[in-house]
Amino acid sequence: MKTVKKNDSIIRFLFAIIGALFFSQTLTGCGNTATSSRPALTAVQFGSARWEEVVAQAAGGEVNFAMWSGDEARNRYYQSSVAGRVKELYGVTLRFTPVGDTADVVNKLLNEKGAGRTAGGTIDMVWINGENFRTAKQGGVLWGPFAEALPNIKHFAEDARRRDFGTPVEGYEAPYQRAQFVIAYDTARVPEPPRSIEKLREWIKSHPGRFTYLAPPDFTGSAFIRHILLFYLKQGTDEAAFDVSFDERRYQHAVAPTIAYLNEIKPYLWRKGETYPASPKEADRLFANNEIDFTMSYGPSFASERIARGEYPLTARTFVFDDGAIGNYSYLAIPFNASNPAGALVVINHLMSPAHALDQGRALGSLFPLLSAGLTPDERAAVEALPLGPATLTVAEMAKHQLPELDAQYLERLEKDWREKALRQ
Amino acid sequence: MLAPALVVIGVLFAGGLALAGAQSLGYFAPTGENALTLRHYVSLGDDPEVYASLWLTLKLATASTVISAAAGLALALGLRGVARRSRAISLLLQLPLSLPHLAMAGALITVIAPSGLLARVAYALGFIQQPADFPALINDRFGAGIVLSYVLKEAPFVALMTLALLARLGDEYEQAARTLGASAWQRFRHVTLPLLAPAVVSSSLMVFAFIFGAFETPFILGRPFPAMLSVMAQQRYLDVNLAARPGAIALMVVSALLTAALAWAYLRLTSRLIGLERPFIL
Amino acid sequence: MKKPTTTKVAEALAVIAVVGLAAIPLALLASRSLAQSWYWPRLAPPSWSLRAWRYVFSPTAEVLPSLAASLSVALAVTLSAVIVALPASRALAWQEFRGKRAVIFALLAPVLTPPLAATMGVHSLFLRYGLTDTWVGVALSHLISTVPYATLMLTGSFSRLDPDYEAQARTLGAKAIDVWRNVTFPAIAPGLAVAASFAFLISWSQYLTTLLVGGGRVRTLPLTLVAFQRGGDEAIAAALSLVFLAPAAAVAFSVARFLKENQ
Repeated sequence: MKTVKKNDSIIRFLFAIIGALFFSQTLTGCGNTATSSRPALTAVQFGSARWEEVVAQAAGGEVNFAMWSGDEARNRYYQSSVAGRVKELYGVTLRFTPVGDTADVVNKLLNEKGAGRTAGGTIDMVWINGENFRTAKQGGVLWGPFAEALPNIKHFAEDARRRDFGTPVEGYEAPYQRAQFVIAYDTARVPEPPRSIEKLREWIKSHPGRFTYLAPPDFTGSAFIRHILLFYLKQGTDEAAFDVSFDERRYQHAVAPTIAYLNEIKPYLWRKGETYPASPKEADRLFANNEIDFTMSYGPSFASERIARGEYPLTARTFVFDDGAIGNYSYLAIPFNASNPAGALVVINHLMSPAHALDQGRALGSLFPLLSAGLTPDERAAVEALPLGPATLTVAEMAKHQLPELDAQYLERLEKDWREKALRQ
Repeated sequence: MLAPALVVIGVLFAGGLALAGAQSLGYFAPTGENALTLRHYVSLGDDPEVYASLWLTLKLATASTVISAAAGLALALGLRGVARRSRAISLLLQLPLSLPHLAMAGALITVIAPSGLLARVAYALGFIQQPADFPALINDRFGAGIVLSYVLKEAPFVALMTLALLARLGDEYEQAARTLGASAWQRFRHVTLPLLAPAVVSSSLMVFAFIFGAFETPFILGRPFPAMLSVMAQQRYLDVNLAARPGAIALMVVSALLTAALAWAYLRLTSRLIGLERPFIL
Repeated sequence: MKKPTTTKVAEALAVIAVVGLAAIPLALLASRSLAQSWYWPRLAPPSWSLRAWRYVFSPTAEVLPSLAASLSVALAVTLSAVIVALPASRALAWQEFRGKRAVIFALLAPVLTPPLAATMGVHSLFLRYGLTDTWVGVALSHLISTVPYATLMLTGSFSRLDPDYEAQARTLGAKAIDVWRNVTFPAIAPGLAVAASFAFLISWSQYLTTLLVGGGRVRTLPLTLVAFQRGGDEAIAAALSLVFLAPAAAVAFSVARFLKENQ
């Protein structure tokens, strides 16, 4: 009998809790629909509006930023410092939607488009990179074009504004952060790394089992094999006249030696090339734990960040190939059904400003993404003084070895050929 | 009686399933097309990766399920006496259940990876000189890591379901058999096993269906090729090119149908084995 | 009655297995949340740091609001799933009718469907129903995957209860609520406990469904956790995993009492 009475009270207790939580959620939690009751700015309207009007329309509103939230320093910086600044300067309340993978956001937008949900979206701006941009653009889920009309676009290089990962940008996203392909190594294990693609091949064969790359379609792995393709594409062509657009004959000419290279090193790879690390996190683990001697990333400061977190040894450093490293940007885009595009535009423009770039460089060690041409002498001096992590290469060093991104078709074809001719053998 | 449950599934799920399935038949394509076509299914038949993947999935899912079921049953039988006296055991059993699969995979990597804790002990004892000397238990040809990760998570689940049944049953039947002179093995084969079969079968069914569709664990602990069906389908779905999506959904539909067919066969097989004229839950 | 040695050994092994299975992953998570530079070939971390925990308890991480959101959703889903599953499993266990097998497979459809397809389908459907970006929508979307499991587990429980007991109690004049309290509930208590606990766990662990259907408005704990798991910070991911586990373990604890064998 005692047990039975206890059950009653448990059930009553549960009901009470649920009731209370439900009540509180409906009052506060879901009342997060504080988005502007004004109709959302359309791209066409933006095309003919003056910037001051947009800023005025954005004031007092709320912007929801879907930003990758896997880094504590970044989260802290954005949630307090950046949000505070944006509020101060423009009266905009910046909120953040936690994102583990931008692809999830793109899928959300694709589903919303398919269901006809063209207004009142919960996300106003999204931090997006190459392949997700490609998918989003293909699916027609981005608001725009807008990037070329932003006041701060002048600070960014031509190639950032034209192509992203080989896809034409056409103003649907605004460049924002700089990325470049770098390779990390441990000076304690490898005092002098192989600094070219040919030297890498020799190194791999004389150190069996100590190198690997991520399997495409992983972002970084696919970048690695593209470097090899670029190497063969550039052979016999004039450096200055290099054309990134797709050409079938040039591709066929270059893909054969590329696949040959990858198959040649395959038996000397980690685990004899029978498997590849599943994710950058796995590659990090292998590198830190002495299973492999190199790992790669598009983030120039990634090694320094991991040293700071105690995940990489203090002796880790980065290098880029003498043959060149593909340079890239990450971007900010606006979903097609954003509730507050005006606010998003204002925030995006702010994040592209020299003031913000310097501030973020100081706070997070991010590579300075702006052209020096548009800066004041004071700003240029500040850029020079930016702190770099122990394992981060200087901007000058990386600019020396910069390669452009190839047309997206190269990427698709190469990944397919890799899968058929290298992975499955 | 059944109405609320059927309404939940029918109203909240069936339509979604239809929408997703329609995409595999050519409708609502993200690239804009909207007409019936079977080509996504046909192209699966021409794809050698699909067959390799299918075979691997069948092997690993079956192995994981069988081992989890056996281990879970053994655990439950071993614990029944203790469970009677303390509820700490049931609590402890539920902890691995609360652990997300990804966390279990991560814990496994920490322990049995070539540079993991076990390998470091071997190194400290002088058995190996470098991580590559340690046997490859994850990302290996046989999928050992995947099976182990699933067994560590699912055996407690089977054990818990079995213990729940035991809590209700008590041991009167077995006591009766003992007083009638049955040996320990006879008691197990003819009394205990048939009594516990419903719990073991239904929980292992859920385990099998889950493993067939889950992609996180095999993604981390397996190989890119051949990959489990769920991993392959997920990668194709998330392909940069949206045109690959309908094909990915076709693969998922095939996978779901296969799971259903196998579940069906499993239910019939087990009920025949334990001597019921109808599958036990039906 | 004295236990034979084999039983004692089996018991001891089983207990060791269970304790190990519970304790080792927890110990590893705890260590990883505090360890620094714990790489090959070190058997123990050379240094410790509270960095991850300081972040978890900082306002940036928003752990308390997401715990509250997760908890409210999971509790509501658990209760609803059980309420929906009880009559259904009773019917499945005690009644025979045409098309019963079809009904069972229909109920199991969410379990058999690959999770990605199911999630995308549900999101598309809910968009058309206008259920997205709300707490209620998220709870309903979790209900879809919990009802089949709860039903399956409870069907087993009901199939071991003779319907005659309830009938007898009623003929003796007992009211429905008393029949439930004194006959039905005690009989199905273990199965009910497991079903409730499992439903809670399923809802508690949902990530993609909550992100899509909730639109980022309903911020549950997995949303924060997955970002760190996927490629961020090992230590913070471990710390958040422990925070994630605690309430789930608490639910397990409160439900464990029902699993003690019948006296």
